[in-house]
Amino acid sequence: MTYLLRRLEFFVVTLWAALTLNFILPRLLPGGPEVALRTRFHGRVNPAAIKSLEVALGVNNNDSPFQQYLSYLGNLLHGDFGVSIGFFPKHVVDVIMLALPWTVGLVGMATVIAFVLGTLIGIVSAWRRGGVLDSVLPSIFVVTSAFPYFWIGLICIYVFSITLGWFPQAFGSSSEVSSEWSWTYISDVLVHSILPAFTIVLTSIGGWVLTMRNNMITTLAEDYVKMARAKGLSPARIMFHYAARNAILPNLVGFAMSLGFVISGALLVEIVFNYPGLGTFLRQAVNNEDFPLMQSLFLLITLAVLLAVTAADFLTAWLDPRTRERA
Amino acid sequence: MRRRRALTIALFAVLALTVAACGTTNPTAQLKEGGTITIDNESGTLWTCGFNPFNANVNSFAFGPVYEPLVYNNLLNGKTTPMLASSYKWSSDSKTLTFTTRSGVKWTDGQPFTAADVVYTFKLMKTNSALDLQSVWTVLSDVTQQGSDQVVMTFTTPAVPYFYYIAGQVAIVPEHIWSQIKDPVGENMPKPIGTGPFTVGDCTPQNIPYLRNPNYWQAGLPHIAKVNYPAFLDNDPANAYLASGQAQWGGQFIPNIDTYYVAKDKDHHHYWFPPIQNVNLFLNLTLKPLDDKLVRQALAYGIDRPKVSKIGEYGYQPAGSQTGIVIPTFNDWYDSSQAAKYDYKFNPAKAQSLLQQAGFTKGSDGIFKDSAGKRLSFTVISISGYTDWTASLQVVRDNLKEIGVEIKEQDLSHDDYFNKLFLGQFQMGYGSLSNSPGPNPYYELRNTLYSQTSAAIGQTASGDYGRWTDPATDRLIEQFGATTSTAEQHNIMKQIQGIMLEQVPVIPVTESVAWYQYSTKGFGGWPTRDDPYAAPAPWNIPDWEQVLLRVHAT
Repeated sequence: MTYLLRRLEFFVVTLWAALTLNFILPRLLPGGPEVALRTRFHGRVNPAAIKSLEVALGVNNNDSPFQQYLSYLGNLLHGDFGVSIGFFPKHVVDVIMLALPWTVGLVGMATVIAFVLGTLIGIVSAWRRGGVLDSVLPSIFVVTSAFPYFWIGLICIYVFSITLGWFPQAFGSSSEVSSEWSWTYISDVLVHSILPAFTIVLTSIGGWVLTMRNNMITTLAEDYVKMARAKGLSPARIMFHYAARNAILPNLVGFAMSLGFVISGALLVEIVFNYPGLGTFLRQAVNNEDFPLMQSLFLLITLAVLLAVTAADFLTAWLDPRTRERA
Repeated sequence: MRRRRALTIALFAVLALTVAACGTTNPTAQLKEGGTITIDNESGTLWTCGFNPFNANVNSFAFGPVYEPLVYNNLLNGKTTPMLASSYKWSSDSKTLTFTTRSGVKWTDGQPFTAADVVYTFKLMKTNSALDLQSVWTVLSDVTQQGSDQVVMTFTTPAVPYFYYIAGQVAIVPEHIWSQIKDPVGENMPKPIGTGPFTVGDCTPQNIPYLRNPNYWQAGLPHIAKVNYPAFLDNDPANAYLASGQAQWGGQFIPNIDTYYVAKDKDHHHYWFPPIQNVNLFLNLTLKPLDDKLVRQALAYGIDRPKVSKIGEYGYQPAGSQTGIVIPTFNDWYDSSQAAKYDYKFNPAKAQSLLQQAGFTKGSDGIFKDSAGKRLSFTVISISGYTDWTASLQVVRDNLKEIGVEIKEQDLSHDDYFNKLFLGQFQMGYGSLSNSPGPNPYYELRNTLYSQTSAAIGQTASGDYGRWTDPATDRLIEQFGATTSTAEQHNIMKQIQGIMLEQVPVIPVTESVAWYQYSTKGFGGWPTRDDPYAAPAPWNIPDWEQVLLRVHAT
């Protein structure tokens, strides 16, 4: 129990540090909202116009930095993230909601698939070390993982969309299908997600395969595995309950981290497939000096990683009694 | 037999006539109706599905097909087409402009359009200055309704060129809708009501569908039923989409366009890049030695413009002219005899002799120095990510090195770059004006040279970033603004070109173009070099309305 409490304490302190950094960092960037506004008006500054836009955006008030910091924390508690500059007059929350479902859907699913598939392949190839599967799959996936995302993506588009015409080459859904929940819409979205998801899985699976396989090999040499064999337990039970359960522990935190980073989107995949995800919003926000959007996205990413890591800690505590004892 | 033969001939004649009737196009025949056009224009962002025409972020998706101007001004040749105003008239002192509004026009919610809507729109921009994107109230003094269908605008100064901003760049909105809106600045306007040929359908972050307005005031227009405007986040997917024929109308920069785009469908894929604006080397004239005319002339002789165009711009952006006139678009304003007299071709010998004349001597490192030993070395700011301009600037750097002038490039973010130009905190800058150009060379040259648009160093200048302050130039620009006589305007423009050539307050290097690709597969009526009825890129606002009115299925 103290272990869990300590993890929670760590979570709160890290969160506060992240929030504070998130407040300071954008303010250290050159320029600022007023520079962005001046450019928007092509320098034909009408002071009244700038003033009224600043009020609408809620920037550039005369509060001291500390007051701004307090109101920033207060606004966060109320879930008020302000108005986006680049997508004015939309609220930041609305802007993020445009892209969040797509990113979570595509990158999230692809990450889970890559982890599950990679772990299974790692388990099996370690179990049958030197077998056909072990000599083929891990080496292939290690090679594909070395390829950059966008390169695989471009090749996929060229082969499967442009040459063969099997899959659409861009977008998250077709413009001719209305976005209501219907089977046609869902299948349309699925068809559009196949290539980008395949790209992500192909380039990220190798890491999982390799680490899982190596962990398994170490675990399989443990005495308790020999003991299980001696007891005459079924191979499946030994493989999953004795060896894999222990071997997966180091990978869980890694998986949690990558789930957290799902929120940041897969920028390059989104660009190559013109997929409506959060990664491109982040790039856009930085280009536009859209501070409210930038801050909220950074916050979201930090929060997601923190939550995922904390969840992984709890999961480890449950899977591995030793962590509980040590605490 | 004879009779029979006669009958056969008669039959043939009838047949031939019928065939002829089918073969020749009857000018009054209806063009084919229907069809869907897809626009391909990388915006780098998803759609917010807001259509507030006064919001600079989304104005380009509403103004044109949805909200219309009073008079359409062709950006390429200045030809005007009456839209919501059926006619207009200047007073003799060029300080009063009277519009007659068109009758029989309806908003897409069925309400009639009236002169009161026009007055309301302008008053709205006066009370909410953040809506005044064209700063028209800097010259307007009042807008009133006269009779049932006249709108009278009075100006503080003679303001003939402002016609383009007032009649051509302001979207007219319905009073009955906008008077209900509490905060017009923060209004999103998801379902816009305009007078235009299209309405907005079921918009998503990935696509804006525009649907034909069946009650549009120009009977029989538009021909096409639907326009899709998908959101492209990056150039590469947008170019691939265009090349594969899934989009018909592009506004894209495509490297190697002949191989990448045209060759994919030689019979149907076409492009045309009309130049619309100069890409300049801006010089900060408040700094020594850039305040010296001889140095500026030397720089102008020290840049190989055709080479910059060829290497930096794949030849798509043509070489610029030191007259400041964008050619060939504005050829009829161009003073070729004056230009020939100066002959600003790449001429290192002449450039170096000018520098020597200005009192500089060449140092051992090949770079000129002044008498105090200070090298002719400058920092040029440019926008990072504009890769073709970066490449161009490298050619400029090599050119200038040949004449003994050193320049160092500094890439900045878009906003940061313009901010430095506005404030005058730069030595040299490479790029175009922040303001969009107009339907004749005056607009760009006014914003480049008029000291009234400038400001002291550290203050925001809306134009004249180099701080060119010359009473003669100012007088010419003001005279141009006060006359409606074309001959007089041409005469003034000649004198302005003389100043550009002699004084070199800024150095035009290349000309930026309207990127425009179109597919004739299934569609016709596109603007072409021979029929330049509108600036052709989908991002030319509100010109794209004219294109969407004319394009038809074939």
